[in-house]
Amino acid sequence: MKRKNRNVAIIGSGMSRFSSHREEVNQPEMIHEAVVEALEDANLTLDDIDCVLHGNMELFEMVHQPDMWHVLGDGGWGKSGVRLTTGGTTGATLACAADNLVASGLHDVILAIGFEKLQEGHTTGGITNMADPLWGRSLQTGALTGLGAQKVIDEFGEERARIAAMKYRTIMDEHAMKNIKAHRRLRLERQYIKETADNSPPLAGELRMIHMCSQSDGACAVIFASEEKVKAFKANPAWVVDHETVHREETMIFGSQKSTQRAAAEKLFARAGIKNPRKEIDLFEMYDPSAWWGVDWLRDFLLLEGDEALKMIENDEITIEGAFPVNPSGGVVASNPIGATALVRVAEAAMQIRGTAGNHQVPKTVRRAMASGFGGTLWTVLMLLSKEKPE
Amino acid sequence: MSNEKKEQELIVSRQTLSIPQRFSTGPVMGRFLQELRDNKRIMANKCPKCGRHQLPPREVCALCNVEVTEWDELPPVGTVRDYDIIFYASPDPLSGETREVPYVECWVDLDGTQGDAPFWHLLNVDDISKVKRGLRVRVKFAEERHGTTEDIEGFEIIEGAES
Repeated sequence: MKRKNRNVAIIGSGMSRFSSHREEVNQPEMIHEAVVEALEDANLTLDDIDCVLHGNMELFEMVHQPDMWHVLGDGGWGKSGVRLTTGGTTGATLACAADNLVASGLHDVILAIGFEKLQEGHTTGGITNMADPLWGRSLQTGALTGLGAQKVIDEFGEERARIAAMKYRTIMDEHAMKNIKAHRRLRLERQYIKETADNSPPLAGELRMIHMCSQSDGACAVIFASEEKVKAFKANPAWVVDHETVHREETMIFGSQKSTQRAAAEKLFARAGIKNPRKEIDLFEMYDPSAWWGVDWLRDFLLLEGDEALKMIENDEITIEGAFPVNPSGGVVASNPIGATALVRVAEAAMQIRGTAGNHQVPKTVRRAMASGFGGTLWTVLMLLSKEKPE
Repeated sequence: MSNEKKEQELIVSRQTLSIPQRFSTGPVMGRFLQELRDNKRIMANKCPKCGRHQLPPREVCALCNVEVTEWDELPPVGTVRDYDIIFYASPDPLSGETREVPYVECWVDLDGTQGDAPFWHLLNVDDISKVKRGLRVRVKFAEERHGTTEDIEGFEIIEGAES
């Protein structure tokens, strides 16, 4: 069954600098940085944009209709607009919606914007309010949990699991060191993995500060265009092949249902005819809220069994130079402006296909790249991009 | 020099929001909270199709997409399936006050639970090194109850009852 009326491609992206404190700019000014960069990257002007998609997680800054205020920074006045807010997955949902709106024929060129200024609110307080208001707000501690770590430790033993999580974290930092936009660039050294973990404050169970994502200020803008417009603009495209969203029904109950990561990957790969994702996909930008979840989810996203994912980390397969690079950008553990974060994954995957990632461009040719989003509670969005135009 | 830029003070506007909220519970959570408050009873509801319990109860079984109308009382006793020791002092969103750490959250399979419905609450212990999976625990109800999560103080360990 044909799923799209017409092909859709990403033809430009931009990001603000990510940092714990962007107090020198207000929200519209910060968004403006990303929008200007995206328009320059696509070689377009605001006149070429016919719809602006806007999203973040309003629990953090508590601003009603920030899309109105932000028109000052995104040039959306007089254009069609949609605001989306699906928690941590917001950025990925923006990308899915842009794909849907262009594929349907409703819009030709869309500017999708995700942002967060976590400094302006309280991150863990905001996330804790995501718990069911009737039961559990007084129990939840935001996104901080040691259960992900415990799962990996139960299966692979304390020593191997701890080293794998810190190796993963260190590789992400090595990548972030190459990404000028990244927030946390810590210059971690592989020889001090154990000391780095031991000296980091514990947050929950085996989850320590060093494993956990940052709280960042930042914005991301991505331009999506129809095939006709890609031709007309003579653009450098990364085509959107397909996307999948998987929810769970409960709010914060950790049962034994199949992970949404694996469920999303199974559906997406079945439609795309992908049998061996590790070989058929060249690169993955994963929403990894912590190093422990990065280790655990890699297995589910690539439909691996046993310790295959651990070995990919142990054997340096996931580094920029590796056979299957994961998060050449440094990922979410390096930068996490939440409403932008999942859109950054899509933008980074597209940059790798378009060859515009600069210092953190992977050496191999990227023909197919995947980007994921994660959000409350335990949702997954997965998007597949390609260098070749889909049939 | 005329091209020298004078440093500008950037003013940060500090604000604190405090919003009293009132959430309707509906008849299903309403019954659960009423039983908790008035009778210290833990009521799960049970899907008529797949037979699984839901705790806290929910209006429908989302997996079977049918209305859930059957109720079972579950005993305030069970076994710890998972636990989380929290070291990060986050704010309680209900009071705004910073929580005392460390504290322990746990997911408990109450005796007789059908399907996947671990009950989520605090595990109150004097020594976190005692916490492990498989612990037998019982619910400690609060003296004063108002139909909220806090009607339960948390679970406490049943000494000498390993499972």
